[in-house]
Amino acid sequence: MMIEVNDLHKYFGELEVLKGIDFNVEESEVVCVIGPSGSGKSTLLRCLNSLEEKTSGELIIDGDRIGDKRVNINDIRAEVGMVFQQFNLFPHKTVLENIMLAPMKVRKTSRKQAKAKAMELLEKVGLQDKAKAYPRQLSGGQQQRVAIARALAMEPKVMLFDEPTSALDPELVGEVLEVMKQLAVEGMTMVVVTHEMTFAREVADRVIFMDEGIVMEEGPPEEVFVNPQNERAQSFLKQILETQ
Amino acid sequence: MFDWAGIIDFMPQLGKGLYYTLLISVVGIGIGFGLGAVLGLGRIAKNKFLYGLSSVFIELIRGTPVLVQAIWIYFALPLILNHFLVDIFGQIKIGSVTAGIIVIAINSGAYIGEIVRGAIQGVDPGQVEAGRSLGLTGKQTMRYIVWPQAFKRMIPPLGNQFIISIKDTSLLSVILVPELIFQGRTIAANHFNAVEIYTTVAVFYLVITLSLSMVLRLLERRLNV
Repeated sequence: MMIEVNDLHKYFGELEVLKGIDFNVEESEVVCVIGPSGSGKSTLLRCLNSLEEKTSGELIIDGDRIGDKRVNINDIRAEVGMVFQQFNLFPHKTVLENIMLAPMKVRKTSRKQAKAKAMELLEKVGLQDKAKAYPRQLSGGQQQRVAIARALAMEPKVMLFDEPTSALDPELVGEVLEVMKQLAVEGMTMVVVTHEMTFAREVADRVIFMDEGIVMEEGPPEEVFVNPQNERAQSFLKQILETQ
Repeated sequence: MFDWAGIIDFMPQLGKGLYYTLLISVVGIGIGFGLGAVLGLGRIAKNKFLYGLSSVFIELIRGTPVLVQAIWIYFALPLILNHFLVDIFGQIKIGSVTAGIIVIAINSGAYIGEIVRGAIQGVDPGQVEAGRSLGLTGKQTMRYIVWPQAFKRMIPPLGNQFIISIKDTSLLSVILVPELIFQGRTIAANHFNAVEIYTTVAVFYLVITLSLSMVLRLLERRLNV
């Protein structure tokens, strides 16, 4: 099992955002997490690499228990790639430097090797000609593809995507989803928080519907989308599928 | 009636004053920048002791006049040190130039501390999250991601502080630092040429601060590429 989550709770002060989440992700599985905003899906994702500290519950990433004294959180994060809604590229570094930084500083890869790897990844996301550009010279879609390449440079075992296309202009969404689809085909383990139902339907092995800090429905996309059992899931999907 | 040409005779002495003004400014601000970086990091530290220590230091320095600090360090501090430490170190003396450097260092340090804190807090938290999510440690994230971006934001307020500190060195004449205005006063008292000398001194300060402004503007432009 790549990710195991048991009875995960998260409070922000008095507010309980995650109310006992259980879910597992197997190797090479693509799991899409959907649900209305404020349902806790981003918080769940951020707990997975400890950007948010869990309040209680069990969280095991590739056999390492988070919160265990012998487990170094930096080592876990190095194995878990994260792609943010706002890209969060480093604005003072070129595209190439953005991708090379972590392999060189965390993995102690040589500059030469890191550069070769970075160029390979840029080619993969279709941006090899942008290596020397700065993030602000790129479109949103291009920035997000660089952010994906940056995460992949660490050769993570899992990739987490936090609404990766929500900040993009509609015409730029496709290019990012295309890269993600390619990753899924190659067997990357992925957890994707998204509003892109078409993507979830096509690419996900499993879809999780969350609301009010609880997993309300879970299953293969055809079941969740076509025949949801939970009432909230039904009304959410009805609403969102009508507008898309 | 004014003997402007005669100024040339006093250039060696004014030059000596200029030397001390520059020496104390450069060394004082240099130490002040290091101190300010530490204080700024202390002000955002989770560690309550570091936070408290930095805050007390900054408030203490910001809350007292530079002139008072200079006089206190030069005249009062040695007495206190000798009272408690004379058995260990013997008589301690703090030279006027040393005292001057200390004053400029702690003063610019306190203000730079606040500049550093503000600049670091102004960096998008998403940058830290991106760094940490890649497995970088907190220190690495600060060094490679947050600090370079914060530094860019610091340049305009830092330039401002540098100029203030350079001008503050003129107050050190009261503790007998042989800097520009000290030399000017000595010359004017002996040769009755206050207009020529004090005007020249003022122009010297202006030349220093304007040059600094220009260098900073160039640096800003360079970093904004």
